[in-house]
Amino acid sequence: MTTRRISVESRGDAIIVDGSIDETSGLVDLLSHARDRRLVLDLGGVAFINSLGVRDWMRLQAAAQRAGIALELRRVAEPLIHQLNVIIATRGGARVASFFAPYACDACGREDSLLIDAVAHAQALARLEPPAMPCADCGAEMAFNDFPERYFSFLSV
Amino acid sequence: MRPSILVVHPDRKTQRTVQRILGGTGRGVEAVDDLEQALQRVAELDPRLLVVDGGAVSSPGFDEFFAAARARGAACVALLDADHQARIPGILGLGAVTNLLVHPMPVLGEELTITAQKLLRGDLFGAEKYLLWGTELHATTMTRASQRMHIVGELGDRVRDRGQSERVASMAMLVADELLSNAVHNAPVDEHGTRYRADLPRDGELELDGRHRVALRWGCDGRYLAVEVSDAFGSLERDTILRALVQSGMRESGGGAGMGIALAYRSCDHLVFNLAPGRRTEVISLIDVRSPPGERVAASSYNVFVERG
Repeated sequence: MTTRRISVESRGDAIIVDGSIDETSGLVDLLSHARDRRLVLDLGGVAFINSLGVRDWMRLQAAAQRAGIALELRRVAEPLIHQLNVIIATRGGARVASFFAPYACDACGREDSLLIDAVAHAQALARLEPPAMPCADCGAEMAFNDFPERYFSFLSV
Repeated sequence: MRPSILVVHPDRKTQRTVQRILGGTGRGVEAVDDLEQALQRVAELDPRLLVVDGGAVSSPGFDEFFAAARARGAACVALLDADHQARIPGILGLGAVTNLLVHPMPVLGEELTITAQKLLRGDLFGAEKYLLWGTELHATTMTRASQRMHIVGELGDRVRDRGQSERVASMAMLVADELLSNAVHNAPVDEHGTRYRADLPRDGELELDGRHRVALRWGCDGRYLAVEVSDAFGSLERDTILRALVQSGMRESGGGAGMGIALAYRSCDHLVFNLAPGRRTEVISLIDVRSPPGERVAASSYNVFVERG
């Protein structure tokens, strides 16, 4: 998965964003895909975002707020969650519906990035309790592989 | 043996642990409980290295103690128990602490020994010092600015190929990208100190000839993945680094100078700056690859080492 420029594809009610978000991304253009003042972004394929990509991401958030467009983020990849946690301004007014999080299996050593439904698990996440996840290899319960107070901080604003 | 390392810590168990660890340097180690005793002993012992409790750094007597120690040429390392990580912004805000080791209890011997040896010996450079003996370091040299994205992507691929997680790969890519970008655009200075490439577009092409070449090395020993980036200008300054690390504006607004350094610091477990002014800057990012978190800590250590002329 060598770093590649972002690709954008419309699928169902969502815009699929894949690749790297950097100085070349031009994310504000995504707003042209909004329907009825709503834009749903599927970010599961974002492999990388650097500091210049962060600025581009914040420009997207600011432009969406100016235009009165509600942003819904689905399947947000770990690199983007890291930025949402480190830089508060990246959260803007977007609503995160689901996101990936790191898990590890103590029994067999497998590590995975697993999808968490932020709506279904909202109460547990507010208590900083990651949902239980079974290991795809051995079936044992996996352990959350980060610090909950750090990884889930983007949900607290 | 005349002590040349002075440990200042209120906890006797920590004092003894640190004494045992630093005994391995072959230097004499003496421990005291507080800054008042430490100030007296600094004058008597003339130590080369001070290891102080991070909690003492913001206490009233620290400035006087620190000034007395610096005047005698002593280097200072602050230790901070991971349970007290909330103190880090305050310590960073002081702008004086160049070596902060955040650690679980008991103190981790490796980081403390490496930091102490580097300061005592004046031998600063090389990621090898942070990795187990025999760990292979992969080296790449950038000769054109446009290679950055390819090099970063390849690093991510090779880290994953070695069985590391997405978390580790994405952190390695992020810190490599920020450090390479800084080395290409911010490091070059002319004879007047002007950073003549700082305002050029990051996606533009630049030939990196001679002194402009930037080196990347990386390796992993099963505990740390180390990413090392170096340039031949040596223009990054201690105060610039300390200002960037504190970067209070970045968290709220995502803006401000030094954002690349601030982001790299928050994306790894230990960030090390080795500075030879006018000759070389080397930045080493250490990412703890162990999982589940276990002995990992949720806050990052940093060191700023400056070569003495």
